[in-house]
Amino acid sequence: MIATEWYLMLSAGLFCIGLLGILMRRNALIFLMSVELMLNAANINLVAFSLQHGNLSGQVFALFGMALAAAEVAVGLGIILVLYRNFGDIDVTSPTTMRW
Amino acid sequence: MTGATLLELPEYAAVAPAVIMIVTALLLLVIDSISPEPGENDRLALNAVAIVGAVTALSVSAWFLVAGTGQTEGPISLFEGALVVDGMALFFSIIVSSVTVLVLLAGYDYAAGDRYQAEYQTLVFLAASGMILLGMANSFVAAFLSLELASLPSYALVAYLKHNRGSVEAGLKYFLVGALSSAVMLYGISLVYGVTGTFQFAAVAEAIADTGLVGILGVGIVMIVGGVAFKTASVPFHFWAPEAYEGAPAPVSAFISSASKAAGFVLAFRLFVTAFPIGVVEGVVDWTLLFLVLSIVTMTLGNFAAATQENVKRMLAYSSVGHAGYVLIALASVTTGSDGYALGAGMAHLLVYGFMNTGAFLFIALTEYWDVGRTFEDFNGLGWEAPVACVAMTVFMFSLAGLPLGGGFVSKYILFGAAVRSGLWWLAVIAAINSALSLYYYSRVVKAMWIDDPEGSFEIESYPVGIYAAIVIAAVVTVLLLPGFGLVSEHASAAASALV
Repeated sequence: MIATEWYLMLSAGLFCIGLLGILMRRNALIFLMSVELMLNAANINLVAFSLQHGNLSGQVFALFGMALAAAEVAVGLGIILVLYRNFGDIDVTSPTTMRW
Repeated sequence: MTGATLLELPEYAAVAPAVIMIVTALLLLVIDSISPEPGENDRLALNAVAIVGAVTALSVSAWFLVAGTGQTEGPISLFEGALVVDGMALFFSIIVSSVTVLVLLAGYDYAAGDRYQAEYQTLVFLAASGMILLGMANSFVAAFLSLELASLPSYALVAYLKHNRGSVEAGLKYFLVGALSSAVMLYGISLVYGVTGTFQFAAVAEAIADTGLVGILGVGIVMIVGGVAFKTASVPFHFWAPEAYEGAPAPVSAFISSASKAAGFVLAFRLFVTAFPIGVVEGVVDWTLLFLVLSIVTMTLGNFAAATQENVKRMLAYSSVGHAGYVLIALASVTTGSDGYALGAGMAHLLVYGFMNTGAFLFIALTEYWDVGRTFEDFNGLGWEAPVACVAMTVFMFSLAGLPLGGGFVSKYILFGAAVRSGLWWLAVIAAINSALSLYYYSRVVKAMWIDDPEGSFEIESYPVGIYAAIVIAAVVTVLLLPGFGLVSEHASAAASALV
């Protein structure tokens, strides 16, 4: 059996890749993919810890997490669609009608 | 159920406020599908169902709170402890459903020419049910699911005016920050689960007490604080707030800034008191210190930014960030072995804030309906054209600033008093200075409405009944909360003491 630390490192790596993607890329679709990576990093943790603790609640929550990620993408794609219709672009830095 | 005096209801009836919200949401979709062509259904019928649904949820929550459900005989625990109904859950259920009633009343006129009114109302109800469930959540699974149930419809609501660039931009920014913070929070939850092996709040607290993995636990807790900070629009996840509140349709801004903020705080209160009690996690993360810093930064940033705004709606958005800072005092004042005084003060402030802030944003909805413009100058002389609404707005502004014209005075006083009581007198001083500064920008609105002369003439053709009714109700409640504050704070501190 692979030790839990390795899963934790894998998930931390995925999480950081996702975070970097959010910080460095400007395409809204890439943003969605990066958030997906972060959510799935959490899911890996949940499943790995579930095995380690020997209870199933972590695995069940991982299933919920996947469903939620899908719901979030559904709403996000809708918003990206109206973004494209209004601004002709899906660059997250292009809408700047409001500034402080 | 404590129904010795009332009817005997089964235990699961305690979640009724949330169930009523969900059923109304589905009912609205059914009614809307009678005529499949958008905008062809009876507007009056849709609004009537919506308002009846929200008022029912409000009455049921108030009835449960007064009848002592989950209070006299201890909290009602449902679904293996995933949900808990106690005084605090019902108290916040009242806040959320009152705001929902006001927002729906205003929506009757605001969305009058809109073809997708049923969808709009459905989203409001779904978000409201998520917020009520957030107050009842007693495990990380329930908390995260309700958080998303509250957030996802809110994103759609903010971007609701799909041909309006401001609304779409606001929705995008809200969604981006929200998606990021929920991912961060889920990761935090997974780390806490790794350390404790459970999601249930009380069991987490027990497991933390004898764990050696303080590093992972600390990172997890800080990440969860991030999720809470997003929902309550506190620093460092406040960036979305001014944009979302400014770009969104004004009733939606009212809904998100009042109800959603309250829901974020109830999660924070329950989470940090039951899952991470300060006595247990003190050696890992001293979250009172964390909230102390966040509170000071949030209120100062919110108030200073609000003072520099020219746009009234944006000013209100920053003032809402500032108020999140005040309520964070409640969390910062929790100490080992303290009673529920500070939390009760925070809850009472959120209730008063729910009415005065919703009213203020609905006044903006009224000006948007009349198309009078968005800056302070545009409001010049409005008081003589629409005296009733402007008197109400004056009440909201002075109550938000903390003058004894509405409940805002007492609730702030008690809240700052709670800080002094916990020995943080200098935090109370900072809050008082901030509050004094806030008087400057709030009174600018009042000055514009009543004192300054208008540049042109207003073209006010009609006085919309729904928005007026909502504003007047909010104003009357805000004023009545000044003498009636004792009742609110009694329930709030009882609910908070039961938790602590």
